[in-house]
Amino acid sequence: MSSPLRTSPQPPTLDDEISALQSKITTLKSALALQASTLLTSPSTLALLSSDPKLASQSSLHQSHHLQTLYRTCATLTLFRAQDPDPNAVDAGSILGLRIEVVSRAKFLRPYYVLFNRPWASSSSLPGPQRKWLRVHRHTVPSCIPLSGLAARYLPSPDKDDTRRKQDLGKFARGVRREVVRYHARLGTVADLRKAAGLGRGGDGGDKSGLVDISPADAEVRHVSVEWGDGRTGRLVIGDDGEVEKLVVVGENGRDREAGRELLGGLGLAGTVKAEEVVRRLAGTGGA
Amino acid sequence: MSRISVPTTAPLPSSLRVNPSSTTVTKILSRLSRASLISVALDWLDEDNLSLATPYLRPDQDDDEEEDDGDFYPPASSPEELREEYLSLQNRKGSKRDVLDRITTGDWRHGVSLYQLAIADLQYLYDHPTSHKWSAYNIVPLKAPTEDDDGEVQPLEADKTSLTIPRFHPSLFLKSLQAHILPDIKAHYNLDRHKTLPLLILRIFVIDSPYNTSLSLFSNGNMDTGSKTILIAFPDGSPNIFISKPTSTGPTGASESKSLRALLVEGIPKALSLPRQRVTLQSTSLTTRNLEGLLNRRGATRGNAAGGGWSIYADEKVKESPLSTVLPSPPLSDATEEEEQGNGDKKRRERPTVEERVNKRAKLVAQARFGDTARVGDGKGVERVDLVMEDPFEIGGDDADRMDIEGADDGEEAFRPNVRLTFHGNHVFAGIRQLVECGVIDGEKMPGWMTGEEGVTVGAVRNGRIRGHKGSGL
Repeated sequence: MSSPLRTSPQPPTLDDEISALQSKITTLKSALALQASTLLTSPSTLALLSSDPKLASQSSLHQSHHLQTLYRTCATLTLFRAQDPDPNAVDAGSILGLRIEVVSRAKFLRPYYVLFNRPWASSSSLPGPQRKWLRVHRHTVPSCIPLSGLAARYLPSPDKDDTRRKQDLGKFARGVRREVVRYHARLGTVADLRKAAGLGRGGDGGDKSGLVDISPADAEVRHVSVEWGDGRTGRLVIGDDGEVEKLVVVGENGRDREAGRELLGGLGLAGTVKAEEVVRRLAGTGGA
Repeated sequence: MSRISVPTTAPLPSSLRVNPSSTTVTKILSRLSRASLISVALDWLDEDNLSLATPYLRPDQDDDEEEDDGDFYPPASSPEELREEYLSLQNRKGSKRDVLDRITTGDWRHGVSLYQLAIADLQYLYDHPTSHKWSAYNIVPLKAPTEDDDGEVQPLEADKTSLTIPRFHPSLFLKSLQAHILPDIKAHYNLDRHKTLPLLILRIFVIDSPYNTSLSLFSNGNMDTGSKTILIAFPDGSPNIFISKPTSTGPTGASESKSLRALLVEGIPKALSLPRQRVTLQSTSLTTRNLEGLLNRRGATRGNAAGGGWSIYADEKVKESPLSTVLPSPPLSDATEEEEQGNGDKKRRERPTVEERVNKRAKLVAQARFGDTARVGDGKGVERVDLVMEDPFEIGGDDADRMDIEGADDGEEAFRPNVRLTFHGNHVFAGIRQLVECGVIDGEKMPGWMTGEEGVTVGAVRNGRIRGHKGSGL
């Protein structure tokens, strides 16, 4: 541990050894933390732990964390409190955080956060309940998600003349999650399409299906552009539920309906076919 | 070259050649460095670009003629030969003047095409990323037009509840933008992907002439007096658009270039609009020379509405899987823990002096307020921030006055001096961070707008906060 501090210029072999050892230290440390946490929360050790107050407090910390992760995994929408460091922040800097979990390619991504404050907390002109209304303060949702539109629908700003106005955090949260999940599903579908067509990451290929490029064509990844090796280009529109809404293929002599039907594989008309089925079909022809 | 010029609304063709001795050409080419000039020339000679940048080659029937007829740069016989010539120039040492002369009086003596100029101009942008001042605009959908009782069409309003994200299709956009440009000016458009950043750059080169033939460029010096260049950047995956300040070659006034920009800001949303889906551009109060900084604040990242200390929520490197059972460490604690363990020598175990403790605390506070943003070397700085203070002047500075500010609406006799703040520098917020780290600014009492978390460069401060919160995306 102390050796890297004392060493001045050294031959590279020793440096390599040190870095290898240090990476080993980090893996061992994380393994230790994992084992400790498993031990501290396993029901069989709980009875033994109760005698030591320090261990017991650690154990309760770990248990509450376990409960939190359980909620995060299963509910995928969780709330937490935070503090705005700005001394001039409204409502003494109280922040309500919304955490949105997203799963993509069998992995939990870094959650998206929406942080709310209560800017009308001290305004005396509004009726009581409206003072507690929330407003989106900060968020990490990508700009292709219509967050401001959802906020305007479900979290309107208070108006003392309009008492019918209501805020609905639940609907807002579900709306944002729906959009985020759809966005990631579309991203995943495009990646699957590329894979099924035999297109590598940036590399060329795709001799099997004649396709040379499949890439998202707009910010929301609703439109997917498809390119063939012989110069034909196509547009695929993915709908909200993952169905192929529209498909147009344009060749040298205008619209090429044949190629469009071929891509859909006789599965039916656009609008009834799911994008995943196109993936499956492409993968099938690619393998054959 | 056609003999007659007929006014038209068509754009200037890319292959249109400009006299290489004109001021515009020399100005665009001479500001490039020697290495860039050679790489630009090689780019012109690339197979794909050759049709738009044909060099002056030796005609075949002249083979029997004496080659050296006083020509300083004898024309090459094929593009391949020329390519090798420039490759050898790349390895040789020499002055920039030589290469420039070779291009203008030798290989492209018959004219430099507008496409070539566009490539050279973009090369300048790559060489000098801060050469243009960009303003960020947000593309917002508009409500469907409504009519009032008298049948008059109401002015269009931004549709705040719309859930559609405006889409951008380059060729369609160009076509409809062309339709909105006035017929008495001619423009040349060139779309290109930025080499390193996820951007699509549209270069618009405008001249004051109703004709689109080379005659209009050669005669009466239209090119040199009234040509302007404007760059528009479309970031990938983000409904924002960056427009550069127009640069002009001639002695045009500031008002004229402003009006061109206003014209474009008016025309671009119309070109972006689709049938039954109109959009408008909204200024986002962010103007900077740094494209990377712009992308960081208005691009397709998570950090758009989570600047400053909030960036800890946007950091994708942090693993926060709900399947991990390991107790997470709060954001600031792991860094300090690491430091303590690393410096676990006996010497460091001694009680730190007051000064050391103050320094350490200042660093921690800076980390809390700025997160991982506003580092000196991160290349995401803005170079100018303008703020107007609209808060009443605090006389006592006690808690009582603070209360006054909160309820500032009723006290109309409050003393409000007209104070404007301008921060200037390579990276304004990194500078403020450094001042916090040195303890010059008290990081805990520092207002939030000094951390740059709003993501604006122009704003008005009221009640200690930037009004409007345009930066937070709502």
